[in-house]
Amino acid sequence: MWNLQEYRFATNPAEAVALMRKGPGKGAYIAGGTDMLLEHPSCDFVVDINKAGIGDIARTAGGDLFIGAVATLQDIVDNSFVRGFAGGAVSSAASQCGNRPVRTTGTVGGNLCNALPSADMAPVLLALDATCYITDEDSQESLPLTDFFVGPRLTVLEDRLLVGVALPGECAGWRCASHKLTRTAEDISLVQVAVSLGVDEGRIKEARIALGAVAPVPMRAILAETMLIGQEITAITPDVLGDVAAIAAGECDPLDDHRASAEYRRDMVAVLTRRLVARILADDGDNREGGAA
Amino acid sequence: MNISFDLNGTRADWEVAPGETLLQAFRAAGVFSVKLGCETGDCGSCTVLLDGQPVNSCVVVAARINGCRVTTLEGLLDDDLMIRLQTELVEHGAVQCGYCIPGMLISLYALMKQDPHIDEEAIRHALTGNLCRCTGYVKPVEAAKAVVAALEVSK
Repeated sequence: MWNLQEYRFATNPAEAVALMRKGPGKGAYIAGGTDMLLEHPSCDFVVDINKAGIGDIARTAGGDLFIGAVATLQDIVDNSFVRGFAGGAVSSAASQCGNRPVRTTGTVGGNLCNALPSADMAPVLLALDATCYITDEDSQESLPLTDFFVGPRLTVLEDRLLVGVALPGECAGWRCASHKLTRTAEDISLVQVAVSLGVDEGRIKEARIALGAVAPVPMRAILAETMLIGQEITAITPDVLGDVAAIAAGECDPLDDHRASAEYRRDMVAVLTRRLVARILADDGDNREGGAA
Repeated sequence: MNISFDLNGTRADWEVAPGETLLQAFRAAGVFSVKLGCETGDCGSCTVLLDGQPVNSCVVVAARINGCRVTTLEGLLDDDLMIRLQTELVEHGAVQCGYCIPGMLISLYALMKQDPHIDEEAIRHALTGNLCRCTGYVKPVEAAKAVVAALEVSK
């Protein structure tokens, strides 16, 4: 059994941070707990944030999509506003996390704060310019998701609390698709790629390519994105697409491990990037599909 | 610590340790339809309903279910949909060693309770989290399709 001395409940974010700092000993935040009960992190107490009022999914007055940190993965799959945002790409990515029972309690915040290089929700959120909202006892901070991950299992949080992520309203009309490459449906991903393109009058105005499980942290392939931005769709020939995919593969920094070799992972970044960009551009533009490649 | 929750329609007051899982609490309390399998959230043999949604009780902390509604197979034995599912699983020869069956029943029940008009893909997606080490994956799907068909007819 997980050797915990105390289980604390927070009713709001500031209280959660205060309970975390109160001691004695080392604490950790807990929401769904689907990772923590596998890993049994060494701590004396946990602070339960399930009832801390940070589980809502909402459309803000400015049209942004706000997803509370303890919104469950199934909440994200089912939410009608998320399903309509950027072709439903975020819901689609959430539906590929774990299995149905895990999605009932597993949260988006837990997925991000656990900070695995293979965090399932990270690529699609990076591809849609997510901003993280972080709370301290008496202050708030927001920063781009790109700056949230510091290293494997390490974020900028320290003992502060992630309260949620927001996707800008202008991304709602982007075409976005992601793919999680795994051996089996439930397994940790070998490679993840998420692509989003903001297309206007036949020209690519915005491009994001985000990669997971191929670097110490989830990352953007900025150089490959730059090759796409400003291009007419008709100029994206198979040759150009091949170059974009090769550049993206060159930007990542994968590891060899028991799941796959670094060489294979790098090859798959190229393959998936090429397929996803091609599929998005072939889409007739009404964004019915946000799903797997 | 003490937790108080609705277990199959009856109020339960249990003493649990802060790091105890819901699965460990069930086994200690003699709720034996909830099977201990992988204890990593992969195999689904410990699946129960938490406020109507399927969860792997091996990766849910018991402490957090205070005030929640928990349903195990024991609480659904008189339920029409559950009886149909059980009957069809038996009729289709889906039950081999039987260890995964309570979890499969709960997953299928949760799926069809929410929406009985589903296709094979939805059934397979819902069963992603239920491993059968007798490797009987076709017959449970056929059994579930038979339940869906019967519900369509009886509409």
